[in-house]
Amino acid sequence: MLELIIFSSLNGLLYGMLLFLLASGLTLIFSMMGVLNFAHASFYMLGAYFGFQISVYVGYWPGLVLAPLLVGVIGALVERYGLRRVHKHGHVAELLFTFGLAFIIEELVQMIWGRIPVDYRVPELLNFSAFTLFATTYPAFRMFMLLMSVAVFIGLLLLLTRTRVGLIIRAALAHPNMVGALGHNVPLVFMLVFGVGCGLAALAGVIAGPALVTQPAMAASLGPILFVVVVVGGLGSLQGAFVASLLIGMIQTFAVALNVSLADVLARFGFTVTRESMGGDLWMATVAQVAPIIPYLLLVLILIFRPKGLMGDRDT
Amino acid sequence: MIADRHRHLLLWAAAALVMVALPLVFSSGASITMMSLMGFAIIFALSYNMLLGQTGMLSFGHAVYYGLGGFLTAHALNVIGSGKWPVPLPVLPLVGGLAGLSFAIIFGWVSTKRAGTAFAMISLGIGELVAACSLILRGFFGGEGGISTSRTSTLRLFGISFGPQIQVYYLIAAWCLLCMAAMYAFTRTPLGRMCNAVRENPERAEFIGYSTQMVRFIAFCASGFFAGVAGGLAAIHYEIVTSSIVGAVPSGYVLLMAYIGGVAFFIGPIIGAVLMTALQISLSDYTGAWSLYVGLMFVVVVMYAPWGLGGLLLMHQPLLAAGLLKRIGPAYARAAPPVVMLAAAVVLLVETAHHLLVKAVEGSAMRVFWVSYDAKSPLVWGLIVLLFGAGIWALRRVMPGVSDAYHAAAQEAQRLRSR
Amino acid sequence: MSACALQLIDLHKSFGATPIIRGVNLDVHQGERHAIIGPNGAGKSTLFHLISGRFPVTTGQVKLNQEDVTGLAPYLINRRGLSRSFQVTNIFPRLTVFENIRCGVLWSLGYRYSFWHMIERAQDARERTEAILEQINLGSRRSVPAALLSYAEQRALEIGITIAGGAGVIMLDEPTAGMSRSETEHAVALIRKVSEGKTLVIVEHDMSVVFDLADRISVLVYGQVIATDTPAKIRANAAVQEAYLGSASAEAEHA
Repeated sequence: MLELIIFSSLNGLLYGMLLFLLASGLTLIFSMMGVLNFAHASFYMLGAYFGFQISVYVGYWPGLVLAPLLVGVIGALVERYGLRRVHKHGHVAELLFTFGLAFIIEELVQMIWGRIPVDYRVPELLNFSAFTLFATTYPAFRMFMLLMSVAVFIGLLLLLTRTRVGLIIRAALAHPNMVGALGHNVPLVFMLVFGVGCGLAALAGVIAGPALVTQPAMAASLGPILFVVVVVGGLGSLQGAFVASLLIGMIQTFAVALNVSLADVLARFGFTVTRESMGGDLWMATVAQVAPIIPYLLLVLILIFRPKGLMGDRDT
Repeated sequence: MIADRHRHLLLWAAAALVMVALPLVFSSGASITMMSLMGFAIIFALSYNMLLGQTGMLSFGHAVYYGLGGFLTAHALNVIGSGKWPVPLPVLPLVGGLAGLSFAIIFGWVSTKRAGTAFAMISLGIGELVAACSLILRGFFGGEGGISTSRTSTLRLFGISFGPQIQVYYLIAAWCLLCMAAMYAFTRTPLGRMCNAVRENPERAEFIGYSTQMVRFIAFCASGFFAGVAGGLAAIHYEIVTSSIVGAVPSGYVLLMAYIGGVAFFIGPIIGAVLMTALQISLSDYTGAWSLYVGLMFVVVVMYAPWGLGGLLLMHQPLLAAGLLKRIGPAYARAAPPVVMLAAAVVLLVETAHHLLVKAVEGSAMRVFWVSYDAKSPLVWGLIVLLFGAGIWALRRVMPGVSDAYHAAAQEAQRLRSR
Repeated sequence: MSACALQLIDLHKSFGATPIIRGVNLDVHQGERHAIIGPNGAGKSTLFHLISGRFPVTTGQVKLNQEDVTGLAPYLINRRGLSRSFQVTNIFPRLTVFENIRCGVLWSLGYRYSFWHMIERAQDARERTEAILEQINLGSRRSVPAALLSYAEQRALEIGITIAGGAGVIMLDEPTAGMSRSETEHAVALIRKVSEGKTLVIVEHDMSVVFDLADRISVLVYGQVIATDTPAKIRANAAVQEAYLGSASAEAEHA
């Protein structure tokens, strides 16, 4: 039991930090530019695939640096030549542009690398177990993932709170128009923010790729959860995104570990329910099976009780 | 005023006539099937536009109401069939509609608490919620196999069994006409007008006595109803409903259909639905990358023609009415070669890349537009680059001329009209 | 003394830690034309937002026709008979002028959220809309999309939408902002016409408009009303002079 809790906590923390890595880039882009990057998870996927391809030729570690850089440059170009042109048509058009982009990226990835998962391997250096607890081993690569995520998080925190660039970004988060009026080259800042945001997403992809499955569907499966995170956290709030990421990461990880269903609970009290009973499916579903929809249930709950999100104050 | 009313009736009568006559012109089985698919795609796309074009609500999860309508219709059909209830098939899509409406009431009450981008993300989340539920609630969603049904098991009136596709086509066409008329009428009601007001300026709408949330909620419910009808017709047509029908793919598709057709005009989604259905069926015979083409087309529309194909067409209606179409002829004709070059470049690139990447086992010989060539030949790649470069360069030079010609003709048409 | 159409009782509003409205008490009589003036940043627009429900009140009460409407949503306040215009033109850009006004008349005619009436058959809506169009002199522009109107025409439309619902209390926020002399004269004539028999609260910077139209004037400085009186008495009021002249002499020092 204790082992379950410790490992689930570690995994939950890991998943949460990964989500935050993605959500932070998304929130930065949204807060500064007003556009929700529907293709954010697609850049995450591109990072994983680029990392994979580089690892095939040169190895994992160069990929860790090169893939985010490459994707970041692609992101900046997308902003400069695509998004900027759509900007004058309004936020809906921008969102639709990124939606189309996500669509196209998924098609291209499928075309280039195929529909089946690619064999993105854990680097040899980290291919061992970090520790053993109660006869279950915990992979070192996961510890690496956790450390990397925390390192990036701390880096972001320091950047935002201790540097001049960070000050400008925080100002733009609160009052985007004012920042332009103060003489900063807003289009350049936009391009950089979008590029860095995409680069962060790609970094998450390179980190997660070997551990989670690298396949064309990874963007489509992570994307919606990512958007739930930012809505639950409160659109435009980095702190909210942090809390929501950890919350959802933890809840989902613990849920997956619980192989218990309502039928089991009822059985403890002496009631017998089977698949054939009324609403059988609902009773028989284990928490683990229900785990995928928990983020969305959380979304609905937040909407009912606290529509602006946990820490949101900006209306879209 | 009277002339307008008569003109409207004439248009609807003409539409009805066209729908009745189409199978007589295109009488092959494949054509009738395609037209049937277009029929409920039109209803689905129009229902989507009640949200986006009319009320300014962008939804990424509209297929929930379409799909749930389909599932409930399939279940109803099965219940009716096995219990031998005296219910004729034409009534069944109503079941789908009511299902769509019910779920729209439930989910809509929660969704419409937010607007704009948040609403879009919520619709995505709810779409995923329902799609994920389909794996849990196997009884209702039928697991991997879905729910099968039979449309010939209902009460037969006048000996019509709805077995043959042509009979299904007329059923779909009748419902399509009915729904089109209903949705059009909706735009001409006080609520329909307020939907537009909410789209234009939600804040101001609140200060003239209307709760924006209530307006959006009712529009959402109406939209869910019609989406459910479309889903019911789909269930009847395919005689099987699987859980993919509530997922992200059809949700994305209806968005593409409506937007490419044009969300600012009632006729836009109709054009989009017809076009996309036709492309989906015919293109997929010729190329494996047709999905990519659709995505590219969508992005091009978003970037360069956000009023959609319908908008592009309707833009020229005043010119047609004033007899000034030939004025723009020369400028538009000059724009044709660059466009063709670019299109050719894109097609060549996509097809060649697709062949090399996906069909690598077949070797590098391939065919595009009656021309066979070797996919790895550097000549081909050189040609692609050339066509791209030349196309973009030429288009850049020609576009201002096109724009000027159009505006000049439009102004002239305006002048003639106000005389 | 006639009944109070609008009453503000010890109204306070703070944004975070910053107090903007710091205890406003105001009585607007039925049928009077009441102007609110004051230096920039005094909180005049904020006051409008508090009354019309756009911002929530920190403490205090707003009473409309003796009924407490504090904290109600804008549409509820509007339905109870208060309508306001905006300083920055807030119209429905892609709808025609006719449509803009017609949307404004719908609720008051009882159509509510009807999707079973055909708007073309709604005679009362059409007639009322035509009447308003006449009043604001935009009849000839009825089929023009509102975004294509000139600035002064848009301001007239703004007023038109505000009065379309037939509200008893009309609040206009700087209706003549940005207008030329002749445009202002037209606007004042229009405002006088449409506020006949109604209660008018108007925020204005143009003193000639204020002294021309108002029955009574309130002066708002730093979130408090320092004087409420007839135009002549306000002109002579020492505190008002200091509030205006005080800022003028400070500017003169820096010049």
